[in-house]
Amino acid sequence: MRRQILCLSTKVTQNSCTKALPLTRFLSSQEAIDRRYHLFTLEKKRQLENVGRIEKIEVQYKGVPNSCTLIMNKGISTPYDCARHLSDWHVESSALALLDGSVYWDMHRPLTENCTLELQNFTVSEPQQVNKAFWRTCSFMLGACATIAFKDTVPVKLHSFPGPDIRSGSFIYDVDLPTLSDWKPTQQELITLAAEYIKLTRLNEPLERLEVGEELALEMFVENEHKTRQIPSIARQNGKVTLYKVGKHVDISRGPMISTTGQIGRLTIASVHKLNGSTEGDVKQLYRFQGVALPTGVMMNHFTFSILAQRAKKLNPVKSPIPKPVESEEKEQIAMKG
Amino acid sequence: MNQADVSKLVSKLRVKVLPKHRNLPGPKGPEGRIDKLRKTVTGLIKFERIELNYNRADEARQYAERLISEAIRHGDCHKPTMDTADFWLLEKELVHKLFKVLVPRYETSNLSYTRMYNAPRLQYGRTIDKVVLELRGNPFPDLLNNKSNNKLLIQNVLLDAAKNDYRQTKIAEMAKNIGKDIGTKQNTDSKLNEAPEKPNIS
Repeated sequence: MRRQILCLSTKVTQNSCTKALPLTRFLSSQEAIDRRYHLFTLEKKRQLENVGRIEKIEVQYKGVPNSCTLIMNKGISTPYDCARHLSDWHVESSALALLDGSVYWDMHRPLTENCTLELQNFTVSEPQQVNKAFWRTCSFMLGACATIAFKDTVPVKLHSFPGPDIRSGSFIYDVDLPTLSDWKPTQQELITLAAEYIKLTRLNEPLERLEVGEELALEMFVENEHKTRQIPSIARQNGKVTLYKVGKHVDISRGPMISTTGQIGRLTIASVHKLNGSTEGDVKQLYRFQGVALPTGVMMNHFTFSILAQRAKKLNPVKSPIPKPVESEEKEQIAMKG
Repeated sequence: MNQADVSKLVSKLRVKVLPKHRNLPGPKGPEGRIDKLRKTVTGLIKFERIELNYNRADEARQYAERLISEAIRHGDCHKPTMDTADFWLLEKELVHKLFKVLVPRYETSNLSYTRMYNAPRLQYGRTIDKVVLELRGNPFPDLLNNKSNNKLLIQNVLLDAAKNDYRQTKIAEMAKNIGKDIGTKQNTDSKLNEAPEKPNIS
C-alpha cells in the first residue's frame, strides 16, 4: 500500500499536475469516487503506521456521570473511543469534543497530547460551535447526495460550500452540472434528492478526518477542475489540506464536523437555484442546492417545520463563489428605471 | 354569624384534596390504610423522592403536606404538632429532619412542598399507574430535563431568524403601502370634510 502511494507521489512530483489532467477523460464519476476513497484509505493507513511505538496519554474527562481519567493511545485514540469507555448514550449523543475548554475537536480525530475532554451534544447550554459543525456537515452531506443522486449520463462536479450560517435559514452546496444548462427541479425531484440524502444519513457512517499534503489532494481531485483550482489556495497556509470522508465520499472542508451522519434527523432539500457567472469567467453557471435539517431527537411540529422549509426555498443570500455577470445586471436595472 | 372561619383554623393545602378519601383496601381495613400511609409518608420524608402507585401516592401526599404545613405553622414547641409528627414518622430521627431541615427549607416558599410526576408506563399491556413523588428542593437531579427554551439551540436559532425575516418582509410591505395609504386617506378625508359641510349649507 505504501508502495502504491509512493508510486503515485513520485508520479505527481515527476510530471506536473497539468500533465496528469488528461486522466479526467477516462474517469466516470463513480470511478473517480472509488479512486478518491482508495487513496484516502491508503493515506490514512500510512499515517496510522507512522505513529510507530504506541505512547500513552492521560485524558481528564469532565462531565456526567462523573469526571474521570482515561489512559488513551497517543495519535490513535479519538474522543469517540473515550465516549465508548463511558456509555452508549455518550457515543450516540456526543457531536463534538471540547479539549482543554477551548479547542473544538472532531469526535473521530486522534488525540495528540494530554488534555481535558468534554463531550458536547446538541443540548449543551452553549451549542453555537456544535450547531456550526452540524450545519457544515449537512452541507458536506448535500455534496455527497448530489454526486450519487444523478444518473451516470449527467456529470456532477462539486464546486464548494461556504462557511456555516445558520441564520440564513438553509445549508447550501454549489454544484456544477455542465450538461444541464437550464434545469429547474420539479417537486418530485426535490423529494427524490431528499430521499437519497436520508438514505445516506441512515447508514450512520462516521465522519473521518484526514490531513493530507497538497500533492496528494491534487491527485485525489484530479478530475474536478474546481477543486484543483481551490486546493493551492487552501494549502497555502501550512501546506496541508483537510479532507473528510463519509462512506465513500471524500471532500475538502475545514471542519470540525459532527460525529456520525445518524445525528442528522429531519430534513428537506428545499430548492435548487441557478447562479449565473460572467461569460468571460471559467465557470458559466452553478447550481445552488439548498436544504434545512434538524438534529436527531429534536421534536418540531410539522407546521413549524414547514415555515423553515418555506424559508429555505428562497435563494440563500451568501455570496456566489463565481464572479457575477455585472454588466447585464446593470443593463437590466437601467431598463427597469427607463 | 359568630361562627369561626374554617379556613383560619386549618391552613389551606397547596395541593388538590379530593372530597372523599381513598380506602386503599386491605385485610386490616382502615387501620391498615393508615399504616400504609404512615410508611409512605416516612419514606417520602426520608428519601425525598419515591416511586409508587398513583392512589397511594396521592393520598400520602396530602398527609405529608399537612404534616409539613403544621410543622411550619406551629414550630417544634407545640405539643399537638409534635404528637402528629411522632405519629406519622415511624423513624424518630426524621422528626429532627422535619423541624430542622424541612421547616427552614419551606418557610418562605409559596408553592406546594411536594411534587408528583407521572412515571413512564408500558405502551401496551395493563399496568397500574405509577408516579414519582418528591419533596421540592431535593438534592437529586431534575426529573424533567427540558432545555428547549435555550435561545442558542439550533431549532430556536432557525425559528428566530425566520421570524425576523417575516417581520422584515412585512415592514417592507408596509413601507411600500405608506405612500398609497396617504393618497387614499387624503381622498377619504376630503370626503369626510365635505360630508358635514353639506347639511350646514342646507
